[in-house]
Amino acid sequence: MLFSSISFLYYFIPAVLILYFLVPFKLKNTVLLAFSLFFYAWGGVKYAALMVIAIVMGYIFGLLIEKFRVKGISKLFLLLAVAMIISFMLYFKYTDFFIENFNKVTGLSIPLLRIVLPIGISFYTFQIISYVVDVYRGEKAQKNPINLAAYVAMFPQLIAGPIVRYSDVARELETRTHSFTEAGEGIRRFIIGLAKKVLIANSMFDLSEIAYAADEKTVLFYWIYGISVALYIYFDFSGYSDMAIGLGKIFGFHFLENFNYPYISKSATEFWRRWHMSLGSWFRDYVYIPLGGNRVPKWRWFINIFAVWLFTGFWHGASWNFILWGLFFGVLLVIEKFWLLKYLEKSRVLSRVYILFAAMISFIVFNIPTLGEAFSYIGGLFGAGGIAFSSAETLYYLRNYAVLLIIAIVGATPVVKKLATKLSESKRFGKISNVLEPIMLVCLLVVITAFLVDSSSNPFLYFRF
Amino acid sequence: MNTKVKNIVVCMVMAIFILGFTALCLFMPKPEFLDSERRAPAEFPELSVESIMKDGADYSDSFMKKFDDNYTPDNFPFRDAFRNIKAWVGANIFLQKDKDGVFVVDGYAAEMQEEIDENSIAHAADRLTFIYEKYLKDKGITPYISIIPDKGYFLAEDNGYLSMDYDEFIDKMLASVDFATYINIKDSLSIEDYYKSDTHWRQEQLTDIAKLLVDGMGGSYNSTYTQNVLDVPFYGVYAGRAPKPLRSETVYYLTNDNMANIAVYDHQNRKEISLYDMEKAHGKDAYDMFLSGELSMVTIENSNAKTDKELIIFRDSYGRSIIPLMVDDYAKITVIDIRYLQSTFLGSLIDFEDQDVLFLYSTLVLNASSEMK
Repeated sequence: MLFSSISFLYYFIPAVLILYFLVPFKLKNTVLLAFSLFFYAWGGVKYAALMVIAIVMGYIFGLLIEKFRVKGISKLFLLLAVAMIISFMLYFKYTDFFIENFNKVTGLSIPLLRIVLPIGISFYTFQIISYVVDVYRGEKAQKNPINLAAYVAMFPQLIAGPIVRYSDVARELETRTHSFTEAGEGIRRFIIGLAKKVLIANSMFDLSEIAYAADEKTVLFYWIYGISVALYIYFDFSGYSDMAIGLGKIFGFHFLENFNYPYISKSATEFWRRWHMSLGSWFRDYVYIPLGGNRVPKWRWFINIFAVWLFTGFWHGASWNFILWGLFFGVLLVIEKFWLLKYLEKSRVLSRVYILFAAMISFIVFNIPTLGEAFSYIGGLFGAGGIAFSSAETLYYLRNYAVLLIIAIVGATPVVKKLATKLSESKRFGKISNVLEPIMLVCLLVVITAFLVDSSSNPFLYFRF
Repeated sequence: MNTKVKNIVVCMVMAIFILGFTALCLFMPKPEFLDSERRAPAEFPELSVESIMKDGADYSDSFMKKFDDNYTPDNFPFRDAFRNIKAWVGANIFLQKDKDGVFVVDGYAAEMQEEIDENSIAHAADRLTFIYEKYLKDKGITPYISIIPDKGYFLAEDNGYLSMDYDEFIDKMLASVDFATYINIKDSLSIEDYYKSDTHWRQEQLTDIAKLLVDGMGGSYNSTYTQNVLDVPFYGVYAGRAPKPLRSETVYYLTNDNMANIAVYDHQNRKEISLYDMEKAHGKDAYDMFLSGELSMVTIENSNAKTDKELIIFRDSYGRSIIPLMVDDYAKITVIDIRYLQSTFLGSLIDFEDQDVLFLYSTLVLNASSEMK
């Protein structure tokens, strides 16, 4: 089930909220779990069973790691747990990729298994790994299977993140408070996230599709494609994160931020501190640091960096373009650390142009399924093949989406947030905004509903994750 | 109002809004027909173990997918109002000129025809040439051709929309069928001759065009008609797709005394029909009242015709509304739609002798002619 759907907004959410707030506290996690499983099963019943098996594995291994901690064999259970959970993901997500490439290398023709990728498997397996590792590192194992299952399967963050660490919500699983203040903020955050997805991301997707489908490509069309794809992916992903964080607040959970205006970064290093922060910090804490981080010989450090970025890319999907996407950032980060960063710090303009361009290139590779086509698009940005710079068609669509592009570009910076904060701090406007805000939120929800009722495109970015 | 009170208000307002619409979704009677979109809404999907268990490639057939994508949006309360809000926001906030290629100028909706499809012209020309070579040439029949511009011709270029070069399009088409004599109706048409919300032209506006065609084929047109009003609101094909809300329109149709004695036969369904099908007039597309919609072959016989001449018209849907205005001038009109009838079969259905033959096609069909057989 998508957050950006009528079913979710007007059927699922009312049902879960009514029941959740009606039952006593001790049953709230049970209600949350039941609805989360229903939410997940809505996208494929069989895969809900799969997720339950993964949760049971995590639960048992968590208890074993804790029980045998003093005897020192907890590491064995940890390795076993991680191996089993990872192999779970490897099988469902990567088997056909490996077979396909093995066939290419050996010339064999081993038939593909055509395994359907369970939605959100990359998110929930990482959460289970975070749980068993956190228990290994000293966090108390969760004795109540309902609580653990509610943590892993919690629908707000189940299919598109953020990746919530067990340690971040362990206390709130046991005890948490609910208030109108939190719920009001959660609703606001959810609606803003929904607007980012439905109004901006979907429109940017449409524009990218127009540019992609254009018979007569021009240099300007390639740039429109690159920019619209970069904006689409950002608004889709950060919109989903906003919705998850907002829903979490309504239910009394505080998920960490996942995006912090990455397109205002001045380097790839900073970009990744602002982009999909929960994934970046997960890889840092559960892969990079355990591998030794930077406290190892230089050659090992290189290997550590590239391993992390190889995995980061591969995590996004079983395809070479994702691997290249990850490695591209790995290369940029190494170049920055050894040479470029000191120059980037000298020019705020050039550094921003550099990272915006690099991010755009990376998202072209990310979004186009075949590497050959992705490279031809990158070539197209520079007029490769002697194509015209522009055409009547290109200009028409640029004009047609100009307002949305401007909204998206401005919305990708903290300008609006800063302005809103400043205005709300002013005494007079603060009072007006208190009245206007509920009205604005309802208006926004009406418009979002209108776009969902008459939806022409509602892409789901995460089906390969 | 302090922040705490504001958050309480936000919670209350949102709860009322969402729960209100949830109640309406559950209890409000579902529409039987979506007038402005000219279709029935999606029905509640089949709920069975099989439909719930579908996943992977079969997920699109699952209960869940159909519920999400079809049933809930189609049956959402006040769907039309929400669609109008979307159209309004697109046009006035996002300043988008079109919606999926459909645009509106002065209340007239049209679809952008961005490029001349050379392959389509070649295919259409190939089909018409085949008909000429196989059935007409040896009989010494020189066919006529007339091309109806779609509304984009009048609206697109001057208003900044993408537009193909219609003159170039027609020149290319005519050059490909140089055996046919061209009757230019394009220059006698204006945007007012078309429905605002539909692709088609308005019959009551076409008497001068009918005269051009009949006279162009050697006739002498002087028919007069009474204008009748259809008592149902008409939503054209663009009503559900336009970036701005479009109002319903009134359909008029023309009759005269001679029409009472006309025999119309539907060869596809082997039955007598009428020039104006009042059952279809009250159906999902009122334009289908003209010659009963898309039929592959219809013959119209008029014992009171001014001449004993016969006419064979190869046409698309535009032809259906103008043909009734030509029945006074021909004892028999054979109406063929080669999108639904293989041209190779025509020899067994029609005796080509010395009839007038007219190819009457719109730019919409000629520029997307793959269905012409």
